[in-house]
Order: sequence, then structure tokens, then C-alpha cells
Amino acid sequence: MRIEKCYFCSGPVYPGHGTMFVRNDCKTFRFCKSKCLKNFKKKRNPRKTRWTKAFRKASGKELTVDNCLEFEKRRNVAVKYQRELWSKTVEAMRKVEGIKRKRQAQFIFNRLKKGKQLEKEEAISEVKKNIHLIKAPHAGKAKVLEEKMVQKLQEDVEMGDD
Amino acid sequence: KMALYNFKKIMVVPTSKEFIDITLSKTQRKTPTVVHKHYQIHRIRHFYMRKVKFTQQNYHDRLSQILTDFPKLDDIHPFYADLMNVLYDKDHYKLALGQINIAKNLIDNVSKDYVRLMKYGDSLYRCKQLKRAALGRMCTIMKRQKQSLEYLEQVRQHLSRLPTIDPNTRTLLLCGYPNVGKSSFINKVTRADVEVQPYAFTTKSLFVGHMDYKYLRWQVVDTPGILDHPLEERNTIEMQAITALAHLRSAVLYVMDVSEQCGQTLEQQLELFNNIRPLFANKPLLIVANKCDVKKISELTEEDQKIFADLTAEGISVIETSTLTEEGVMTVKTEACDKLLAHRVDGKMKGKKVHDVLNRLHLAVPAKRDEKARPPFIPEGARIGRKTMEVDAPKQYWDLMNQDEKYDVIPEIWEGHNIADYIDPDIMKNLEDLEKEEELKVKAGEYETDEESEDEEMQEIRQLAKQIREKRKLKIVCSKDKDVHGPRLPRTVKKVERKTLEKEMGDLGLDMTGKDDSHYAVNARRSRSVGVAKKRKREASVVPTSRTRSQSASRPPRDQSGVRDPKMAKQAKKLMKNQQKDMNRQGKKGEADRHVFDLKPKHLFSGKRKSGTNDHR
Repeated sequence: MRIEKCYFCSGPVYPGHGTMFVRNDCKTFRFCKSKCLKNFKKKRNPRKTRWTKAFRKASGKELTVDNCLEFEKRRNVAVKYQRELWSKTVEAMRKVEGIKRKRQAQFIFNRLKKGKQLEKEEAISEVKKNIHLIKAPHAGKAKVLEEKMVQKLQEDVEMGDD
Repeated sequence: KMALYNFKKIMVVPTSKEFIDITLSKTQRKTPTVVHKHYQIHRIRHFYMRKVKFTQQNYHDRLSQILTDFPKLDDIHPFYADLMNVLYDKDHYKLALGQINIAKNLIDNVSKDYVRLMKYGDSLYRCKQLKRAALGRMCTIMKRQKQSLEYLEQVRQHLSRLPTIDPNTRTLLLCGYPNVGKSSFINKVTRADVEVQPYAFTTKSLFVGHMDYKYLRWQVVDTPGILDHPLEERNTIEMQAITALAHLRSAVLYVMDVSEQCGQTLEQQLELFNNIRPLFANKPLLIVANKCDVKKISELTEEDQKIFADLTAEGISVIETSTLTEEGVMTVKTEACDKLLAHRVDGKMKGKKVHDVLNRLHLAVPAKRDEKARPPFIPEGARIGRKTMEVDAPKQYWDLMNQDEKYDVIPEIWEGHNIADYIDPDIMKNLEDLEKEEELKVKAGEYETDEESEDEEMQEIRQLAKQIREKRKLKIVCSKDKDVHGPRLPRTVKKVERKTLEKEMGDLGLDMTGKDDSHYAVNARRSRSVGVAKKRKREASVVPTSRTRSQSASRPPRDQSGVRDPKMAKQAKKLMKNQQKDMNRQGKKGEADRHVFDLKPKHLFSGKRKSGTNDHR
């Protein structure tokens, strides 16, 4: 019993779910749902279909090369059953999973950091260009100007007096 | 040559009565039937000549077809020629076809003569009699062919049922006494289903089966049994077997019955073998000692065993088989096939055609560079890999390191992951390395999310940006809502309400209180009065007509609606003229040049069509 991977979306195919297609050259393709199978029949490339894991890995949106990912891989050498090895493996799996999640999250966070920077700059430029839509450029200045003029007049009058 | 004749495609040969009926009825249907006395004589003659010629043509065509369909014994492969001779008697066959040919020629002559005579027929009655005579003679000729036609029909039926034996391909030929087990053998080796019965001469003709060996197609030919008497006394059935033996270049499998159940002793079988030995010249030979499940050679008497020993000594392989238990059948097959292949290859090598091919073949061997030996090299990794693939015989017990773990339930899946993918003897070491790496990373600060708390300025900027975006979207929505049908007028056409202006500017942050004597407010008051004055002026000058009276006074004419003052009116007029300048110069249609065409005027499309054309009625 094992959980296979869907050829198209790389999702898990649990036992009793999905379909398998066997080609004439004996290569098997498993699919988790009919959506994936239909896309496959339409000869779509999973590396170009945006919602699949294959696309995300191929376009660098997710962590691809890392030591923690090397733990889960299909080895073609059978290992004889030993109780302690198996139990240790389950423990190790737990820890590795934790580390893997942390690293994947960090990877995505780093990727999105640049976006935040750009957002900031955009807000600044927007305000600079279009501030006139919410605030007239000389709002509040009229009063100041008036006061200035009044002051100046007063000064002139005083000067005239003198 | 065989390709010219297809025995299954020979046309059906009708009986003479049928033949006559068909042809005459065809003449009746396909030629004109009506002729009168008062027609012109050449027309009458032509009518009857046509009938005679038509009948002759028909007979000629059909008889020619029969003659071409039936194979000429000289043209086909000698095997088939001989077989046909055996089955149908060559002389009889040739005679029948000859008779048909003669009949054809006679009919042609009859027709020629009578057509010639018809040229001198001077009345309808004479011509008709001549035609009657001609057709009658042709039909009599055909009646005389009754025997030949019947014979040919039978030949055709039998011919189409002959087995398609290709004389040039790889063939295995089974021969021997009746009831020795030839048909059982062919049933075992191929998909043929030949009748097997305990009486002699169950197989009365040749049968073919096909089998595959070494990716090639092989024919296996089953023959009727042959008895031991001289050639002249052989009947048709045996002769078929002899013909096959004589003409097919094949491997011969002489089947002998060791248990003597067929009714012949081994000596008699050996006698027959020696008698037909001349027919086996140049053919790979194999002796099949059948029915060995009943009696083995080792169980025979000394003399009988000597027979087989002699045969083996001569170089002919003897193989024991049993078609019942299938023992030895495959051995026979493989040996016979191999022998025949070797024989054929030898023959081809000695022939002339081989040199054509051999001359064009050249085996290139790389020349030795130096004396260094370069044996084939298999890398260690491949050797190791091969060893891991070696599977020992499955043991009855689980060979675990710790025996009391035998009854453990092995976990397979944990939280969506297959445990089998993680199993690795070095996993603990790898995990340690990974954890160390992780510690280092944490120390280096890779996981610290540096959320810069933004200063107030930045927050304010963000707030403003949000407001700006909202305002913009609102504006877009408003402008879409306006839903302007017709020409887009410039902004200045519409009068701006003082209220809206003050409100907008107030929203933007300017102080709009106390602006009663500002420029725009004064102008607003003035423009209203100008418009009213203009209206009164117009009413006085224009002569009152029904139209002007019907037009409501409160509705300004279109070139004055939306116009504040005479200055604006002048500008609007100027704009209008400017826009029209280009159009007028090019002579194109403008908005006012619209003409509605009456494409279907009622008076042309309604009412009865009396006199008049479609352009006017």
C-alpha cells in the first residue's frame, strides 16, 4: 500500500482513488482526479499548467533543491525489516517534516519580500502624482496668503505712517 | 505465373440450356423490339442484323471469358498442373476447352454468314426468317456443348476448393501408410482440423496447415496414405500424394507406426519407404516413429530395432513421437524446420542470384592500431547492479535479523507520506546533519522576519494612496454612468451649478465660504438674465407661423441650448463650421445627409402582376 503521486498535478493518490493509464511502451501514468486525466488527454504540459506543482517547481515558485527534500525519495534497494530502524524512521520523519515546512515557508516569504518593497514605492508615487484628486494643492494656503498680505499691508501702513 | 489465375475467381459456367436462355432473353431485352412492315427496308434490315450481331457478341464474350478464366495447364506451376491432371484428367480438360473454343468460332461464322445474307433480304418476312435461322443455329451449337459445359462446371467447383499450397515457400510434407498418424500430427502442429478416424483413407485429398517457427511461416501438407503398389496401379487419391511428393520442394516427414496398429508391419512400411525413396532425392528427410506411447523402439524385437538402427546409420534422423501425448512432436518440428532451412540456404548459396547480393556486401573490420589488447570492459557498478538483481529461490521463512520481529505489523503510511520512501540505513546520520544545518541557519538569522514597523509618514502615505485610488474608481464609475447618447459636447457646454462647484472645491480642502461676490457667482447671475433676454428678442422678430406657435417657448432651439452667452454662442458656431470644413472639402456624407431609401416600394411589390415591368407598374 502506498500513496502514489498524480502525474499531472503531483498530488497524492490514495489507494482506491484515481485512475491509471498504461501506454504501449509500458509507462504508467496515475491521476488523482478526472480533471488531471482530461488535461493529460488534451496533451497539456503539466510544467506549463499554472495550478500544478510541476509548474510551481519549474518556475521557481517553490523550494526545489534542499537537503530536507532528499529524505523522501524512492530507493530501489529493499531493506530488511528491523523494528528499531522503522520506529527511528518514523521519529525522523516527524522532525524532517517540521524542518521542511519551515524552509518552504521561508522560501516563499523571501520570494514575496520584493513585492512589499514595490508596493511601498507604488504608494509613494501614486500620492506624488495624483494628490490633487483629494487635496487641492493650495488648500489652506489661501488663508496663509491672505494673512501674509494683511501683514504686509499693515507693515506698509506702518511704514507710511513712519 | 500462378498469380495470373485465381482458382477461386473463375466465373460460374452455366449449363447449355441456361446459357441459351440467358443469351436469348438478353437479346430480347437489350435490342429494340418494335418493327413494322412499312418501315424502310434498310431500317428493317438494320433491326434484324442488330439482333443477330448482338446474340453473337454475347455468346462470344461469355465463351471467351470461360476460356480465359480456366487455367492453361502449361502456364501454371507443374505441381498444380500435375494435380489437375490427377484429379480431372488432362486430356478431358483440354478437349472440353477445345470444344468451347470451336463452338465460339462456329457461332462467329454463323453470324457473319447470316448478316451477309440479310443484306439481300427484301421484305420484313425474309429478314425475320433469316434472323430466326441464325439464332437457331447458334443455339443448336450451344446445345451440343452440354457435356463440356457440365464437366467444366464440376471442374470449376472442385478447383475453387483446392487448398492453396504455395509451391515455393517452406513446406513440410507428411507421407506414409494410411492410419499411421499424419493427420493427427498436422492437427497438433498447426491450427488445421483434419478428420482423424480409425479407418484407412480418412484423408482423401491434400490438406494444408500453417505454423510459425523462427519468425517464419511454414506450410505443413498432409497427404492421403500411400499403399505399396507400382505407380501404374495407383488410384486418384494416392496419386495426389505422389504429385505432392514429386513437385513440392519440401522437407519430407515419413511417418511410421511403431505399434503396427495401422495394419502394416514394420517390414512392409520399410518396403514402401524404399520404394518411394527416389521421390525423396534432394529433400531433407526425417523419419517419424509415431505411436510411441503404445510401443517404444526399445521395446521392439532385435530385428525391428535393427531397421531403425540401419536408417540412423544412413544419416536419416529417426525421432520417436506420440501425437497422443505430444511427446517428441516439437522435436520433430524443430529438426525438420532446421534441416529444411539449412537445405534452402545451401541451395541459394549455390545458385547464381547470391553473387549479386554477396558482391554488394562488405564486412568492415577495424584495423589493429597497435599490439595492445583491448578486451571488452564491464564496469564494477554494472556487475554489482547485476548481482543485486539475482533472486534466490524463495525461502519458507522470513530471514529477519531478529526472529521475534516476525509477527510485527509494518507501518506503511504516516500523515500522507510513504514510510518506505524514508527507509535508509543512514537516516539517523543524515538527520543529525540536517539538524546541525538547521541550527546554523537559525543562528545566522535566516528565519527572522524583519518586519520594519513603518513610521507614521509611511502610514499616512498609504492612507492617502488608498483614498486616491478610491476617488479614481468613483470617477470612472460616474463617467460610465453618465450614459451619453449622441455627440459628446465639451465640458463647458453644461452650466456649472454654483452649489456643486462649491461642494467639490470644499471637498478638496479649499475654503468656499463667503464667495458671493466672487467672479463665478456674479457671472452665474448674469448669464441667466442674458438667456432670458435672448429668448424675448427672438420671439419678436420671427413671423408667427403655426410651427413657431406649436413650439413651446420654454424650449430653446438646439443651437442655443446649453449656451451661456453670445460669446459662447459665437464660439460654438465657429467650432461647428470648423468641424464641417474637412468634410465639405472631401465631399463626404455628414450627419445631415442621411437619406432613407425605399428599397421595397409597396406599389411594385403588391397587387396582381398585370401589365408593366418591375421598374414600374
